[in-house]
Amino acid sequence: MKTKILILTIVIFGGITILFDACKKSDEHAISSGYHPTYLTFKIPAGWPTPPIDIFKNNPLTEEGFQLGKKLFYDGRLSKDGNFPCASCHQQFAAFSTYDHQFSHGFNNSFTFRNAPPLFNLAWMKEMHWDGGINHIEVQPLAPITDITEMAENIENLLKKLSIDTAYPRMFAAAFGDTTINSQRMLKALSQFMGSIQSFNSKYDQVKRGEASFTLAEQNGYTTFKAKCNSCHTEPLFTDNSFRNNGLSLDPFLKDIGRMRITGKPSDSLVFKVPSLRNIQYTGPFMHDGRIFSLLQIVTHYQTGIDITQPTLDPLLKNRLSITNQEKVDLVEFLQTLTDDTLLHDKRLVEPK
Amino acid sequence: MSGLFLSNCNKTTTPKTGTIKISFRNLVGTQPILLDSSIFSNKFGEKYSITQLKYYISNICLINDKGKVTEKESYHLINQSLPASLSFTFTVEENSFSSIQFLIGVDSLRNVSGAQSGALDPLNDMFWTWNSGYVMAKMEGVSPQSNQVGSKIAYHIGGFTGVNSVLKTVQLDFPIGKKLLVEQGKVNEINLEADLNLWWQHTNNIKITELPVCTTPGEMAKKIAENYSAMFSIKEIVNN
Ligand code: HEC
Ligand code: HEC
Repeated sequence: MKTKILILTIVIFGGITILFDACKKSDEHAISSGYHPTYLTFKIPAGWPTPPIDIFKNNPLTEEGFQLGKKLFYDGRLSKDGNFPCASCHQQFAAFSTYDHQFSHGFNNSFTFRNAPPLFNLAWMKEMHWDGGINHIEVQPLAPITDITEMAENIENLLKKLSIDTAYPRMFAAAFGDTTINSQRMLKALSQFMGSIQSFNSKYDQVKRGEASFTLAEQNGYTTFKAKCNSCHTEPLFTDNSFRNNGLSLDPFLKDIGRMRITGKPSDSLVFKVPSLRNIQYTGPFMHDGRIFSLLQIVTHYQTGIDITQPTLDPLLKNRLSITNQEKVDLVEFLQTLTDDTLLHDKRLVEPK
Repeated sequence: MSGLFLSNCNKTTTPKTGTIKISFRNLVGTQPILLDSSIFSNKFGEKYSITQLKYYISNICLINDKGKVTEKESYHLINQSLPASLSFTFTVEENSFSSIQFLIGVDSLRNVSGAQSGALDPLNDMFWTWNSGYVMAKMEGVSPQSNQVGSKIAYHIGGFTGVNSVLKTVQLDFPIGKKLLVEQGKVNEINLEADLNLWWQHTNNIKITELPVCTTPGEMAKKIAENYSAMFSIKEIVNN
């Protein structure tokens, strides 16, 4: 009973129930004595910034929590008709984005509103989604689960499905101390799995650690990158996690105004999250609506395609970027060194049997 | 009276505590609310009925001239369709108080702290999934003045950051000369009333014809929140 989780002492007092919460942190459920999870340490690669918040502070990372989260991530029952697990749109071989799809398929033959981003290094991402509408990794899954174009399920129904399963009650107990299945625990488990997906072993990382070296073209590309791209796609995460307008014109059909949808501020019109460029070779098509299909076209956008008439265009791009065609080719060579095969093939992240 | 026992942290003597019961009665004017059936009229003569009414009351504290005492984990969802949610109890050390203070809504910290449970469980259908944050107060209903499908009206009032914040702190003083006593072995009561007609008119005029729906943070949500922040009053203080 001396677990580090909460201890509630219930006192019956003149017919009224009084709760005293004792010394430690809280989880509302009494913890059975057989609860001995294997605690894991989340590693921050050497030289990386400290994450803006510690996402595992109120959700201690354990092997059992991770395994439960992984099962949930791959489980179609989280969606209304069973066909759309998280993993249907977030595929490991595409760094957990949807491979080769501008938009992803969701419930009832619908398409998602935006391009599915890859999932890695989420511990550093304070605000999620292209418009930053999600303010914490633990509440993110509520969006796809309930969205009618994604999984179209409601939480109550979903929890019912989990509780009649043969494996889940046991797995929830292993992860959280008893068989209670509730939304908080489900979300925390998913967050343990997603938050553990990391990318820090690309060729770029190996070069930085002195374990490999760039070709001449890659090295030249890196030089151009540092001069032209790094102020937004900042190393080592290859994003500064800010929100900016990089000069894409408004799509007349989608009418996606980006971050303004969340803040209501005109200055946030057409402003989107700066995406990480890690694993960019596998995460296309690119941009929030998947409108660009190749890395060469990406660079062309920055050379000549930026709509410089937009009032909210980021000042860094107001003269577009001057990049020679040789630099362009080298830049693309460099971007391909950001592919992290360790992540793409990590057996620990593969669908459980 | 059964004995107290405390858990394994070294507390010394237990102070004497009593119980406070807080009850909410939702009305329109003086009319009680029967969901789906009572028909009300706002100050502009617009008719409406209510199908759903929920709001958060949080960070409750009791005040006297020496200071204030705050309820721990103070998050309550008042839900008109669940009678059990309309009152709740908590314990405090023996004392006497002259006012109550609370927040209508969920404080900004809990809006950004990840998955919550109890009153704050997203199961309660008071959490925006695409723009993280709690709906602080929700009223849905039907009105012939609404131009929406099925004559629906829907007010989901939320927003917790910066200029969009709809969080309202309410302080209500008990009637002059009346103190709430906290005494061991007793359950003393604060009975509150809320007049829903203030949603439409207090500092701002909100007409159903003009605004049958408001479900995003922003200017209108703030106006409605300003209005409803005045809807509470103390009905009585009962020292049993
Ligand atoms: C039908 C496809 C689909 C499914 C199923 C789906 N997602 Fe996504 N996911 C997306 C799209 C599209 C976005 C981008 C949403 C936006 O920015 O508005 C996204 C965004 C995200 C993000 C934010 C990443 C970032 O860079 O901001 C996370 C985290 C995420 N999804 C996790 C999940 C989890 C966990 C599940 C299962 C509970 C899930 N997704 C199910 C399509 C999907
Ligand atoms: C002013 C900041 C800024 C600069 C400088 C910048 N970008 Fe971007 N980049 C963005 C933003 C913002 C987006 C997302 C835009 C959207 O989807 O609406 C983006 C998107 C991208 C994407 C798409 C990623 C994906 O997952 O869809 C690629 C690739 C990219 N940029 C490469 C580059 C390269 C290469 C350079 C340098 C030549 C560069 N960027 C310079 C802000 C910037």
